[in-house]
Amino acid sequence: MSRNYSKYSEQYYPPTPTAKTLFWRRFLPFQAWRFLVLNWRIIKIVVRGHS
Amino acid sequence: MADIIILGAGIAGHTAASYLHKYLGRQHSITVVTPNRYYHWIPSNIWVGVGQMSVDQVRFELKPLYDKWGILFVQAKAEDFYPEGDASRERGFVRVRYTAGEQQGETADLEYDFLINATGPKLNFEATPGLVPGRGNLASVCSYTHAAEAWELLQTKLERMAAGERQTFVIGTGHPMATCQGAAFEYILNVSFEIRRRGLDKMADMIWLTNEYELGDFGMGGAFIKKGGYISNTKLFTESYFVERNISWIKRAGVKLVTPSEIHYETLDGEMHTQAYDFAMLIPGFSGHGFKAYDKQGADITDRLFAANGFMKVDADYSDKPYEEWRIDDWPQTYQNQAYPEIFAPGISFAPPHPISKPMKSKNGTPIFASPPRTGMPSGVMGKVTAQNVAEWVKAGKPVLRHRASMGKMGAACIVSAGFGMTQGTAATMTVSPIVPDWEKYPEWGRNINDTVGEPGLAGHWMKWFMHYMFLYKAKGRPLWWLIPE
Repeated sequence: MSRNYSKYSEQYYPPTPTAKTLFWRRFLPFQAWRFLVLNWRIIKIVVRGHS
Repeated sequence: MADIIILGAGIAGHTAASYLHKYLGRQHSITVVTPNRYYHWIPSNIWVGVGQMSVDQVRFELKPLYDKWGILFVQAKAEDFYPEGDASRERGFVRVRYTAGEQQGETADLEYDFLINATGPKLNFEATPGLVPGRGNLASVCSYTHAAEAWELLQTKLERMAAGERQTFVIGTGHPMATCQGAAFEYILNVSFEIRRRGLDKMADMIWLTNEYELGDFGMGGAFIKKGGYISNTKLFTESYFVERNISWIKRAGVKLVTPSEIHYETLDGEMHTQAYDFAMLIPGFSGHGFKAYDKQGADITDRLFAANGFMKVDADYSDKPYEEWRIDDWPQTYQNQAYPEIFAPGISFAPPHPISKPMKSKNGTPIFASPPRTGMPSGVMGKVTAQNVAEWVKAGKPVLRHRASMGKMGAACIVSAGFGMTQGTAATMTVSPIVPDWEKYPEWGRNINDTVGEPGLAGHWMKWFMHYMFLYKAKGRPLWWLIPE
């Protein structure tokens, strides 16, 4: 990610993911778990959204 | 027997038709009027636009389904509304013009007891001179035909890059008040993914051009999100996504003119700029369809049904209020027109009371900010509550309107695809609740911070892929379709 940065400059830079973060984003067992969590979260939002 | 007419068969219209069939069966007459013979799952256009899905994977023919359900399918487009009838007719009717078949070009007057206007937006490309999808290096993903053309154009650019020719891609909004930033955001991420997948990223300059004040506004004023042990925001989230992919951005930009090789835009500071491009996909402004309405004597009453932007007036507070006085109660709950209570307008067809993002004007007086989004999940929910209210009204013989779905109370999930593939794909799953910030109920963050999150990862791609098939299953009316939430 270093290509996005200018050395010795005082600019603002957004955060960039570390290698560990990128690993977790692709690690199948963890993502399978997140898939279930995200599904549950969305169902809750939909059910609450209208009466 | 009640006559119910639904104009439009997009997410709101088709959802309303499906539930009306479920609640009322064949005891009442349900008619769907739509100029297109297909139902179209619009969120997957992104994948058509990068060659990962075919047009036939995102659409299906409506008539066979409606024939099975006993719904009359009329392939036509609405033109004029006569909510009081006319000199010879007591009931309201809508004048439509057939778009296919032997009657193509002819008009017909369809009388109704209840009218659901779910005609969605007009893609107002004409509002930006030169913004013509399919012309030169300009693409669009707003319809499946546009998306298929975008993929054809993109392939020529990939070939040029493979041959050593550097290309500039500009993707974003093509009008100072455009909405639907999410679709453009998905498209630039998917184009970037496809370029990197081919090892061509060093030959591409990727630029996000947007009317948002800050990245991550998405027409809903941005959002605070809970992420990684912090309360962060969608600005950081979006910028991080772009930096990770080496995408640069131009914000606070209202596109004024597009030529075959240049985009001319004004920024909030009043300066005019030019950006050259080899491939551009810019979302146009949305407007209503320019419908006209007449009373029983034939006098023009368009302003009683429609706001100045052409969208239909509903149970919203349209009084002119400053930004600081906007409240969630301004937003409609039943999508019922207040002048003619038998008319409803769920989905993008309803006129929002005001934007969600803070309105901004350039020094030259050009409004440059994102209009409020109403696509996808909110449209489906509005279509369902409209069907519930109409069905109960029909059964009870009087209005009950028990069912409500305000954007100030409902949440929404947006799965932002950033690359296709069951092991290599990725997407950002974003949920907000409510869509319109409620600073009275949630004074700290404007929304329920436990339900407002953003999470990138492979699971997001699975979600989007799963939703594609799940919502098409639901739309096709397959067994137990109604158990699937909107």
